[in-house]
Amino acid sequence: MHRITRRGMFVVGAGAALGAGRRAAAQPQLPPHERELYEAARREGEITWYCGQYNAETAEAVGRAFTERFPGVRCNVVRSTSQVAFQRLSQDARAGVAQCDVFSSTNSGHFTQLKRENRLMQFRPRNVDEMLPSLRVADPDNYFQTTFLGLFLMAHNTRKVREEEAPKSWTDVLDPKWRDQLAVGHPGFSGAIGVWAVQMRKMYTWDYFRRLERNRPQIGRSSQDPVTLLNAGERSVGICVPLGTTAYSIARGNPLRVIYPTEGVLATIAPSAIPRNAPHPNAAKLFMEFQASRRMSEVIKEFYNEPMRADVPQAEGARPLDQITLLAPSIEEQEKGVPEVREAWRDTFGV
Amino acid sequence: MTPSASDGAAMSGDTVTVLPRPAAASRAGGLLDRLRNIEPVSLLWAALAAALLFLVAAPLVKLFVASFETQGTGAFTLSNYATAYGRQRYLDALVNSLTLGLLSAAISVVLAVPMAWAVSRTDMPGKGLTWAAVLGAFVVPPYLAAIGWILLAGPNSGFVNQAWRWLTGAEGALVNVYSFTGLALVIALNSFPLVFILVKAALDLISSEMEDAANIIGAGPWTTMWKVTLPLAWPAVLAGFILVFLETIALFGTPAIIGIPARINVVTTQLWQFFEYPVRVEVAAAYAMPLLLVTVGLIAVQKLLLGRKGFVSQTGKGGERRMVRLGPFRWVLFGWCAGVGALAVVMPVLVLIQASFAKAWGRGLALDNLTLRNYALLLFEHEMALTSVWNTIWFSAAAATIAGAIALLVAYLVNRRLVPFGEVLGFLCMAPFVIPGIVMAIGFYAAYASPPLALYGTATLLILAFTARFLPIAYANSQAAVRAVHPEMEEAARILGAGRLQSIARVTAPLLKKSLLGGWLIVFILASRELSAAVFLVGPRTRTMSVLLYDLSEAGNFEVLAAFGGILLAITLVLVAVGMKLAGRDFMLRRE
Repeated sequence: MHRITRRGMFVVGAGAALGAGRRAAAQPQLPPHERELYEAARREGEITWYCGQYNAETAEAVGRAFTERFPGVRCNVVRSTSQVAFQRLSQDARAGVAQCDVFSSTNSGHFTQLKRENRLMQFRPRNVDEMLPSLRVADPDNYFQTTFLGLFLMAHNTRKVREEEAPKSWTDVLDPKWRDQLAVGHPGFSGAIGVWAVQMRKMYTWDYFRRLERNRPQIGRSSQDPVTLLNAGERSVGICVPLGTTAYSIARGNPLRVIYPTEGVLATIAPSAIPRNAPHPNAAKLFMEFQASRRMSEVIKEFYNEPMRADVPQAEGARPLDQITLLAPSIEEQEKGVPEVREAWRDTFGV
Repeated sequence: MTPSASDGAAMSGDTVTVLPRPAAASRAGGLLDRLRNIEPVSLLWAALAAALLFLVAAPLVKLFVASFETQGTGAFTLSNYATAYGRQRYLDALVNSLTLGLLSAAISVVLAVPMAWAVSRTDMPGKGLTWAAVLGAFVVPPYLAAIGWILLAGPNSGFVNQAWRWLTGAEGALVNVYSFTGLALVIALNSFPLVFILVKAALDLISSEMEDAANIIGAGPWTTMWKVTLPLAWPAVLAGFILVFLETIALFGTPAIIGIPARINVVTTQLWQFFEYPVRVEVAAAYAMPLLLVTVGLIAVQKLLLGRKGFVSQTGKGGERRMVRLGPFRWVLFGWCAGVGALAVVMPVLVLIQASFAKAWGRGLALDNLTLRNYALLLFEHEMALTSVWNTIWFSAAAATIAGAIALLVAYLVNRRLVPFGEVLGFLCMAPFVIPGIVMAIGFYAAYASPPLALYGTATLLILAFTARFLPIAYANSQAAVRAVHPEMEEAARILGAGRLQSIARVTAPLLKKSLLGGWLIVFILASRELSAAVFLVGPRTRTMSVLLYDLSEAGNFEVLAAFGGILLAITLVLVAVGMKLAGRDFMLRRE
């Protein structure tokens, strides 16, 4: 119901009816570059998307929206945490079997590595030109494109912790009074947690995690796991949780509140890429176009993710990006740092 | 599939000492002669041997070889072992797995033995309920039970702990699922049926005369139980213990779901880490080797412990079996059985059902918290959910069929001694029994994922892996079934003029039908919940329900996860019901 109203609004507003679900209407209105790809993609029939960026509901909705817009091209959504998606890709490569058409991870380091190993296809979607200027160039050689603007911050359960008592900065959670009340994901699974750990290590040295360990945070796998624990009241404060999942959870009636840490919010401006050996290259290109399209930003916004285009307004209640301090390690720091912090994490936390 | 009538004639007489092939064959001169004299039954033997080598031996050999190979070049090296055992953390995982296995097995024995004794030997009321509890625990997939117990026994939010605080006003938690004992208990609550089935079967065979003898020389009912009845069931207890131990060290889902928050790393989760980038199959292989040694060692210990004692309880003289009268104690025992049933089945399943219909499970039962949205999402919007249901059903059905066919043929050949070295086939069928599922999966990945076969991610690979994994169960089942049909019935048909094929089709098969069907269903149900092999082998379109459940468990949304578990349970229940209708009420729990 949510989606239908938005779609209706969108059709009236834009007139182009790009995202309309009516199959018959969809095709003729495609811009020429998409139509050309669509013709080829339809012969391939499907695309397999290894997705570590959006949560399960969002990723499924994106897959459906893609097939709605391009009938006859099915989207196999393989949603997991980013490290697990990368692990799947590596397992495929090791077995010499190509299964993935589009790979999306919150850890940008994955892409520089894949690019260096010459495992990516060069492709620049035309629709990228309409994205936010800061997101248009992820890779000067066009091996990967930004498809995710993830904001990761803190959240607390408002029944267990009052707003004025809640931690305000990333370092506040090191206070012993939060012992047994914290929850966080795992850098061996979640790409965002890996990037966050690299950022925290950069700002506060690894000592940050040794002190965090003393507070016995409950460690999940995905960066979203703490949201579940907060909803249940199992833990009171979630560290490095995705804004999208948290806001969506609040909208479902859970007693949570988002905390924008005073040092800044972790921003994962993360790309997607087409593996060189993608079994459905045209469908993959079409999907990359779709990810840069207005419809994509519409869909993800419904789940409180940040739209990537100026022509799609942010979700209700979201803070404008220019009012937030964004923290992010460079891509090089991510590629080098994430494997390091993953090992260090396992030594410090035992898992 | 079966020997032709011509060679059958040579075999019809004394089935126990029948010659494997006509004596003439060995005397024949040329190769052609020899070839001409090869019997269909030998060809069948060769075909089965090839199938078993492919399914069981090759992946293991490949795994063993890979553990000494340098990645890329394949040159000999010991560095994989150095890497696999070069870190304290990896060694800790190994110790954790072994300790966890022992603890879970011990708890399972404590839970199950009184239940088995009560059902088999006493006048305890509510035996039907006890059966239902055991069956229920058997069909609930371990990772689902784990999720259920997270909802029940999370230290702050778990319903059990909330109730405890409400009742006592205490501050702390009564139980914490995120602990070593919590993990072991959750596993045991799911695995105790293995002990129950074995021990009850053993107790069923002990006649009351032995107990009478003890009574006559002055032992009361409790002393008799401790000194006579239970010791006679000791081999079964030990076998059950080992079975649970093997199950536990091979388990992947439960340790991943409970162990990571509890900071417990075990072998399976560590093996998973070796599959992170860069994929280090060789190191994983080296790391898996001790698991094989441990299981082999366990079997040796079992032999040693049982070797010099006699446990004969069947003597050929018909024994009488009377139920022990417990008096008021029968209610104590009933309480025990009911308690185990509540912990193992009723509580986790209820809490999962509650979560599956909830908007936010933490808010508990409230009218405005009810929704069908989780089911709707899976059934109508999720691209993969229904596909995975279908995958699960047909992969499991195919695996159960192939395993059943191989097992039946081997069992028949071995039992009727139609070929020489039939025992070799039987051994290969039983070998996967001692191989942890996850080790098997890595063997399959190493052997068949890459070209030339390039089976990675295909339905074929999953079906083969499931077949191999559950072949021992199918074989044990077929063996018991075939053994129960005395050859004289076939012989009677042969004397009346039926050929071997005809006599098998008209006499043996109908007699076997029921138990084979039961065996098929057991393999089907086990395969439908298999995770630790599938998680390494699936592709995007071949994901099974268990793998999708595991993926969902990463997505931080227990409501949808619970709903998917609900669908899985509903399917399993239908199958169990069908099985009971077709194969008898206790088809899953018979000792075979």
